[in-house]
This record gives sequence, structure tokens and C-alpha cells, in this order.
Amino acid sequence: MNLEVVIFGVMFVVALGCSLAMLFAPNAVHVALFLVGAQMALALAFLLQGAFFVAAIQIIVYAGAIMVLFLFVIMLLGIDLRESLIEPLTGQRGVALGLGAVLAVGLVFVGVQGADLAAGGGDGAAALTELNQGPGNVKALARALFSRYLLPFEVTSILLVVAMVGVMVLARRISAVENDRRAGVPAAEEEAA
Amino acid sequence: MMELAQQVGATAAAVDWHAIAPELVLAATACIVLVADLFLPDDAKWLAMPLSAAGIIGTLAAIVSLIGAGNRLTLAGAFEVDGFALLFKGVFCVLGLLILAISFHYFRVGRYYQGEYYFLMLCSLLGGVVMSSARDLVTIFIAIELISIPGFIMAGLRKGDAKSNEAALKFFLFGVLSSAVMLYGMSLAYGATGELLLEGIRAKLTAADEPLIVLSVFFIVVGFAFKISAVPFHFWAPDTYEGSPSPVAAFLSTISKIGGFVGLIVLMFRAFPDVADTWRPIFALLAILTMTVGNMIALRQTHIIRLLAYSGIAQSGYVLVALALIEPGATASNEQAFQSAVIYLAIYGIMDAGAFAAAVAFARRGGSYFIEDYSGLWQRSPVLATLLAGFLISLAGTPPMAGFWAKVFVFLAAIEAQSYLLAIVMGLNAVVAAWYYLAVVKKMFFEKAELAEPVEVPAVLRVAMGLAAAALVAVFVYPRLVTELAERSLF
Repeated sequence: MNLEVVIFGVMFVVALGCSLAMLFAPNAVHVALFLVGAQMALALAFLLQGAFFVAAIQIIVYAGAIMVLFLFVIMLLGIDLRESLIEPLTGQRGVALGLGAVLAVGLVFVGVQGADLAAGGGDGAAALTELNQGPGNVKALARALFSRYLLPFEVTSILLVVAMVGVMVLARRISAVENDRRAGVPAAEEEAA
Repeated sequence: MMELAQQVGATAAAVDWHAIAPELVLAATACIVLVADLFLPDDAKWLAMPLSAAGIIGTLAAIVSLIGAGNRLTLAGAFEVDGFALLFKGVFCVLGLLILAISFHYFRVGRYYQGEYYFLMLCSLLGGVVMSSARDLVTIFIAIELISIPGFIMAGLRKGDAKSNEAALKFFLFGVLSSAVMLYGMSLAYGATGELLLEGIRAKLTAADEPLIVLSVFFIVVGFAFKISAVPFHFWAPDTYEGSPSPVAAFLSTISKIGGFVGLIVLMFRAFPDVADTWRPIFALLAILTMTVGNMIALRQTHIIRLLAYSGIAQSGYVLVALALIEPGATASNEQAFQSAVIYLAIYGIMDAGAFAAAVAFARRGGSYFIEDYSGLWQRSPVLATLLAGFLISLAGTPPMAGFWAKVFVFLAAIEAQSYLLAIVMGLNAVVAAWYYLAVVKKMFFEKAELAEPVEVPAVLRVAMGLAAAALVAVFVYPRLVTELAERSLF
């Protein structure tokens, strides 16, 4: 038994365990934590596939940023332990079951059939192999980002600074001192609009 | 994936640093302003304005250094410095200086977050400067976002004012929606051709892609229509202009709007000119609706900013006319339409910013934006009244101001392309527009003033308005000033 299989086994157990725990954990914050666990396990799966960049992004974006967003929402709405069991949309359960069944059938079908990257006339598999040879996909991405897409990439960083400054400006509370000072401003300026 | 695989093989493209020097100077200025604001004491926060002005002048210098150096293509063709790019970079920088002049006293006396405001404004300006050179879908999209997103925040800077909050929220929601629609359209174009570069898209478009391309162009145009506030996607504009701080309204109706137009023009002329038959009717319809509805609603306005907002919508319509004249293969008339759009945008920016400057100057002490209160302004402050009248006359498209040529060139282009319907609608709208602009002028000159005291205008604003008006008169007397630039900006 080689190392890869061992790692895959661990990943499999952790991902499945966390996902199940997520469904049955009563506390919303615990659910969020189990989600992080499941995402980490998935990142490991990507690593095993040699997709290093996707693995890193999985951790940074999903386990990091999106998780924080979830926690924000949980904090903002408050943790309500009593969950309402009344369906706001009638027949929601039936539709959910139906769609779930369709998804399951589809997944089984793809699993039995075997997904072929080269299907459909494209040479996706060849491109992927080519990409993973040589410098590898992380380097390829870096090269694209820092040469051809340099400008959009750097401009995006400015965009992020703009977003941060915007949050600071709009979320900052006007202090009492500042308020007093504004009171001294000529009414014409303040009520100009 | 294929594209990535190819790029691994290719050596990293060298960056032409001189070509992106204007962007670098402007970005550096924005960062310096933001950091300087940290260390400036409260009473000296206004220093951010001269600092920003110096940065914009530096950017202008970098732009001038690129003139005559021929076309430069860098970043694997995604970034081009040609006559068109240089012209609009220059226009954005000049407008940026005008907006700084309008903002200075407003933000200094009101003590709204000055450092942050100038930082955001410079970033948005940077978006426009990048947009002028953007020649691939990614860069165009990022540039339009960089123009819009600081705008959302600037619109809400009067935090204590419910109207300002409303302005920011409306602008944000419409802006995000339009970005999503535009991005969807762009992704369709990418999906159909597998190319991000506009030249590549143009080369790979085939008749087989037509349904997909029609959808793609439709979504892209709808996305841009929000940005340039074309009817029926204009709802946000008047409320946003009225609620946001007036200098920000001036910014949105000039730099932000022209930025949207630059992106639209580049896309339509560089990527989709060969399939113009599919999208020309969209523009014709948009142009007619935008001119007519904008002018009709402007007739009833009593608030000068709302008047400028609706009339600005109508002004967008005239540029859309130029875009509705494109025909595949008709090189001469296409070139004329293109030039008329470029000239219109350049002149519109200056005259609209001028009119906003005069409105802000008037509101400084009197505190009023209502047109009623402008009556008899000539007796109180003859200079301010004359300047405002000049800008309004220019917007109306009557001599002796540059706005006259702007309208005439678009009109001639419509005649040349034999789009008589558009020419007639445009002519009728120009008459309607003249009516409400001249009504304000009449109020200022021929009605009695209720107050006698003159309106005090700060020196910065006076100089800015004076220069803008002088430029408009100069262009009227000698239109070669702009036609020459427009000729050089042909793709």
C-alpha cells in the first residue's frame, strides 16, 4: 500500500465525516467549523491530483474568505438554536428530493461511464498533461499573471485597496467631537443639497 | 487551458514601461495621497488636493512624453498607446484637474473625508486612463470596475445625509447589476471565439457564431448603457447626482460617463465592426430613446443638478447616434462617425464639468440648487452669470461655444451615413434642449434679483471655470484644435 492510497483514505474519511457532521451538528458555529474541515480535505484531494494552485486557492478562498463571510452572517443574525420546521414554500421538500435524485443518477452515470477529458473533440487531456509537465501549472499561472495579465492583476490590487478604504470610510462612526465641529460649519455648505 | 499551455512555452513578454508610465505615475500619486493623509493634521488635510493636482500634472507630462513616439503595443497586445488612447488620457487628466478645483472648497469646508476622497477620485481617474489603452476584454472589464467602484463610495461620502446614502446605494446596486450583465456578454464573446484580445475576436468571428455574438453584444451594450445612463437604463442617474456631493456628481457625469463611452467605442470599433449590422439597430433605438426621454424630462426640472443630470442623459444620446451609424465596409462614413463621437465626448466633458463648477460655486453661499434662485444673477455676479451662461449655451449647442461644433459634426456624420431619421430626431432634440438651457440663461439675465449681494467665488474655481470657458470659445473659433486630434485618434 503506497502513501498516496493512505492519504486518499484519510482524506476520504475526513471529508465524508465532516460533511455528515455538518448536516447533523445542532450548533451553527460548529457547522461552519465542520465545513472548514471538509474544505481542507478537498484541498488535499486537489493536491493529490497535482493541482497545487487549486489546492491553495481552495484553502485561501473557501476555507478562509468565504468561511469568514459565513461567520459574519451567523454573528449578525444571531445563533438561533430552535430551528423552524415550517416550510415557507409548500412542496419544497418534494422538489428537493426529486432534484437530489436527478443529481445522484447523473453522478452515478458519469461514474460508470467514466469522464473523459478528451471527449467532445477537444484535446483537454493532452493540454492538461502538457501543462503539468515542464514548469508545472503554478509557474504557468504565475507567468501569465505577471506578464500578459500584469496590468489587470495590479489594477485589481488597487481595486481591493479602494474597497478597504471604502469600508473604513463608510463604517467609521462619526465621533462626538467631529459632530460638534460640523455644527460650526456654515449651514449653506452642510445643507447644500 | 490551451492558452495557458501555450504561454508556458512562450517567454514572458517584456513590459514597455514607458508606455504604462502615465498609469504608474497616477497609481503612485493615489498611494502617496492615501499615506500622506495619515500623517497630516486635521487642519492640513486639504493638502491632499494640491498633492493630487501635482500627480495629475505629472501624469499629463508622461502622456505628453508619449506623443509622436508612434503606436506602442505591450503586454501581449492587451495595452495599446495610440492617438486615441493619448487623446482620452489627456481628456481624463484635464477633467480630473477641473474636478479637483470643484472639490477643493466643498470638501475642505465640509470636512468630508478629504484624503480618502482624493484617493478614491484618483483611483477612478486611473480607471479611465487604463480604459483608454485597454485592448482586451479582461483589461476593459477591470478598468470599468475601477472607474465605478470608487464612485459608489464617493457618492455616499455625505454620510449624515439620507439622500447621499440613497444615491450611493442606488448607484451601487445598478452598477453591480450592469457589471454582471456586461461580464456575461463578454464571457459569451470569449466562449464563441476563444480570444480575449479584441483584434483576435474580430479575426475569429464567423457567420456561424452569429446568434451567440448577437447575444453577447446585446449584453455588453446593456451593461455599458447603465454606465453611460442611456434610456431605459438611466433611472439611477438623477437621484444619484442629486444625492451625492455635487463635485462627485460632476465627476460621475463627466469622467465616469466618458470612461464608459471609451470602453464601448473601443469594443464596437475594434472587436465587432464587421458584424455592425446586428448591433446598429440597438444603438439607433437607444440613441433615439435617450435623446428624447432625457430632454423631455429635463424640461420640467427645477433643480440645477437634476437638470444637468437629465440633460447629461440626453447628451449621451448624441454620442450614441454616432455609434448607430457604423456600417461594415463603409470606411469613409465610419471614420467620420468615429471622429464625431470622439470630438463630442471631449467637448462634452469640458462643458459639463464647467456647468457643474458654476452650480457648485453658486450654491456655496446661497446654499441653493434651485433654478428659481438664479434669477437676476447677472446683477449680483456678472462674471459667474456669464460663465454659467457660456457653459449652458455650449451644452445647448449654439454658437459661439464649442458645443456647436460637437453637435454639427455628429449631425453631418448622420447625413453622410444617410441616416436621415437619426439626423431629424437629433435636430428636434437640439431645439428642445436649447429651450431649457436658455430658460436658465434668460432667468439670470432678464429677471430681477431678490438678493443684491454678489456670490463669492473662490479663486481656484474662478481660474478653472475661466480656463474651461476660454477653451470652449477657442475651439469654437478654431475647430482644427479638436478635429486634428480626432483625426490622429483613428484606429
